[in-house]
Amino acid sequence: MAKPAVILVGADKGGVGKTTVARTLLDYFGAHQTATRAFDTESPRGTLKRFHPTLTEVVDVTSIPDQMKIFDTLGSAEAKVTVIDIRAGLLSSTLQALNDIGFIESAKKGQITFAVFHILGPSIASLEEIAETSRFVGDASYFLVKNHINDTNFFEWDPATYDSYFKKIKRAEEITIPKLNEMACEQVEVAGVPYVSFVANKNAKGDAANYSFVLRGYVRHWLGNVWGEFDRVKLVDLVAPKMESNVRQAG
Amino acid sequence: MSFRNSVTIIASPRPRVGKTLLARLLVDFHIHEGRRVAAFDLNSGEGTLAQFAPEHAAVAEIGDIQGQMALFDRLVAEDDAAKIVDLGQERFEEFFALARRIGFAEEAQQRGIAPSVLFIATPDSTSVEAYGRLRSRMPQLTLTPVHNELLGAAPHRDKYPIDAKGGTLLRFSALAPGLRKYVETPPFSFAEAHLANARNIPLDTHIELQRWLRKNYLEFRELDLRILLADLQSSIRLTS
Repeated sequence: MAKPAVILVGADKGGVGKTTVARTLLDYFGAHQTATRAFDTESPRGTLKRFHPTLTEVVDVTSIPDQMKIFDTLGSAEAKVTVIDIRAGLLSSTLQALNDIGFIESAKKGQITFAVFHILGPSIASLEEIAETSRFVGDASYFLVKNHINDTNFFEWDPATYDSYFKKIKRAEEITIPKLNEMACEQVEVAGVPYVSFVANKNAKGDAANYSFVLRGYVRHWLGNVWGEFDRVKLVDLVAPKMESNVRQAG
Repeated sequence: MSFRNSVTIIASPRPRVGKTLLARLLVDFHIHEGRRVAAFDLNSGEGTLAQFAPEHAAVAEIGDIQGQMALFDRLVAEDDAAKIVDLGQERFEEFFALARRIGFAEEAQQRGIAPSVLFIATPDSTSVEAYGRLRSRMPQLTLTPVHNELLGAAPHRDKYPIDAKGGTLLRFSALAPGLRKYVETPPFSFAEAHLANARNIPLDTHIELQRWLRKNYLEFRELDLRILLADLQSSIRLTS
């Protein structure tokens, strides 16, 4: 029996493409046949839910009933991987809440696999959050995600400043999301489907769609690079190590 | 199948090796055979395919995404037209890099289109290396070296290895120097109905021109049949 895994995707700042990263994660686990559920904390709207309606539930992560809905079901839910897209500005407070309910303690004891994807925006302001969030993450796998999907400029960081923050977190790993062509990006937004569906030329119902082949090609190439990053940090091994070894033993 | 939705890319990293003349011939060959043709011209300057065959060829661009969509989305469209790309040497690297990135060959295959490259074989190392790279990086493309007889004998043939599955060398016969002046003013179609009258071509010259045309058309037909045969063989292998 695999132990449950929780992945928080967040940033203290809005507009850094959190939901993009959450979407690539759901696509990635989908491609690896790892059952996954997702919570979208952008209550009541829910951007993630628009792209992955069957996997996603919109919740208010600050309310106790919704916290129960997420964390009390970790052991019983069919999906062993839970991805939570944390609304802008709520990453620190969510970590605080997780600390209060003893979740971080269970993660430390190894009862739960816990990973944080901290999405970094292009300004230095978002680096200062690292120091704040690092207080809570403990033994979690911490991924600093440089999201270039939408940006046209280079990140305005001074490498020395960046390193000084980066080193505050033990075992933090860096992930880079490359830039995706604006038009391709926009067309996926318009289509409102997972990236993999767009690549496979399918609409939200799973029927054949008529997306531009060039744009699909761009998305496929980009998604391949993003997944390459997830492969590099051995994400599947992290969230589902036992499942794989079971399969090997059975075989 | 290979006739109905064919994509042929005429390429060489070198200028002035006969790409556009070959492209013109191929356009007119398909018209002659009664097929719809959509040709794309990736050249700059004078005497381009779009100037010679304005009704069938359009100027294409791959510098921005709009141009890329206009070209590649059309190449993989299942619209029963024979697609021809006259790939200028300035766009050679860019075109194939993009094609690889967006998975052009894979998409074409999925749609039952066998994209084929007619590569003008010249003895220079730039071309030989480009050919080798293309062969190893895009193995799904049917790569056919073209020996342009106008460029002389072909002692460099061994530098252009040919695929075992249905591969061949396309012999592009040279147009006699005396004939060239009749066909070098755009627009011009070899498939035009009353070519000799329209262009004031003397009878014996016209006969020679027709002979040259038949010879090259025969090469195209053989090439198409080989590609078709290779397709059939691979599908038989899959089902057995």
